[in-house]
Amino acid sequence: MNNQLDVCECDDDQQVPPVALHVVNLRKSFGELEVIKGISLVARKGDVISILGSSGSGKSTLLRCLNFLERPDDGEIWISGRRIAAGPGLAGQREINALRINLGMVFQNFNLWQHKTALENIVEAPIHMLGLSKHEAQLRAEQLLAKVGLADKRDFYPSHLSGGQQQRVAIARALAMEPEILLFDEPTSALDPELVGDVLNVIRALASEGRTMLIVTHELGFARQVSNRIIFLHHGQIEEEASPSVFFADPKSARVKQFLSSQREAFAHA
Amino acid sequence: MPDLHGFGGQILSGAFTTLEVALTSLIFGLVIGLLGATAKLGPIKGMRVLAGAYTTIIRGIPELLIILILYFGGTVVLSTLYGDYVEVNAFTAGVFSLSIVFGAYATEVFRAAILAIPRGQIEAAHALGLGPVLTFRLVMFPQMLRYALPGLGNLWLSLLKDTALISVVGLEDLMRKASVAAGTTHDPLTFYAVAAALYLSFTSVSLAGLNVLELHANRGVRVLGGERR
Repeated sequence: MNNQLDVCECDDDQQVPPVALHVVNLRKSFGELEVIKGISLVARKGDVISILGSSGSGKSTLLRCLNFLERPDDGEIWISGRRIAAGPGLAGQREINALRINLGMVFQNFNLWQHKTALENIVEAPIHMLGLSKHEAQLRAEQLLAKVGLADKRDFYPSHLSGGQQQRVAIARALAMEPEILLFDEPTSALDPELVGDVLNVIRALASEGRTMLIVTHELGFARQVSNRIIFLHHGQIEEEASPSVFFADPKSARVKQFLSSQREAFAHA
Repeated sequence: MPDLHGFGGQILSGAFTTLEVALTSLIFGLVIGLLGATAKLGPIKGMRVLAGAYTTIIRGIPELLIILILYFGGTVVLSTLYGDYVEVNAFTAGVFSLSIVFGAYATEVFRAAILAIPRGQIEAAHALGLGPVLTFRLVMFPQMLRYALPGLGNLWLSLLKDTALISVVGLEDLMRKASVAAGTTHDPLTFYAVAAALYLSFTSVSLAGLNVLELHANRGVRVLGGERR
């Protein structure tokens, strides 16, 4: 937690942005296997935090625990001052839904609804969860589709869009709920390499708007460029937490050094 | 309809009864099937066991036997309850039997269809804050229709033809009217052929309707051959 003030290091006059997300001692086991071993983290408004780690380190599970797609076993989550306790049976469906409205999620496999067009995918949740009229929701959806560069694809079904286009629609779908925080679960891992760029550009644009985001990713260059903080998970714990410049140039943990050098090797061989 | 030795009107009214029984049973059967599938996939063990017993028993007994047992059994039960002889109405017994038979098979069709929905589709709904009811209505039901329709179509054709079994307990359906007319006029071939033609016309219209429904349910899906739908 010693790095949480990195955000304001640059400018002492500026007030520290308010805390958007505070996770306290989160735990999750699958049967005997403890996947998240007491993780605590703070995200301030405007933070872009990349979560790195090798596969099996618990990074996706951590993200999925935040919006209760996996129910955490213990710990608590604070979002804009509202607390949700994570023990089994502690949080009711209503509390969980309220939490989820504040946490937009973008999945590795897009998970666009196959039977709905791009526009229909975006409008449903705002209509039913935020009480928008059909017309308002459509306007919002059209604006968002334009924002992700897909205004002309509003009536296309997901199966007629490329992976990169589907992922951008999925981002628009998450944005339509105007969540306080966006969660990205390996947003480019299922994409052909030449389609990755478009999606990363959209995420980059969101970062420059000052949106609070948590991004689980394997794109180290992107993480370095877009985030103001890196969290490295190892065996379900935070192994290192640092600003990108420190993390990539001078990591403290031996495990991180090993990870970075193996990644460089992989690139060298590629 | 031609005169048919004066039985034309009778046959027509029988055909109407057949459709009435079949459609009523379809509606009840679909509801039972959805409830059964939900129970089988649900978190409550008692419900799972109950639904399992239901589908095992009903699918394991000939339909004709179920109709007879419910008709005569229903008469006994109701008579005991009321302390006086009550005869179960053939229409009610028929609809009841066919509904629970259809429901048992539909439970399995719906169960398979729910399981066929990719998990991510449901997670996406949950992640947006949609509760179980909205998730079912907006995401699960439309997608499971795609997987369920071919199976339900088969069940509907069986149901339509199984209505003929209810004539054994006296329902004045197409089968019974045809058989009475055949006996009275000593011209069985004509009447059974007419009945067959009517059943065939009902099933043919159904198949055309099912095709339209399937096209709608498959919107957004690439089919083999890459044709856009």
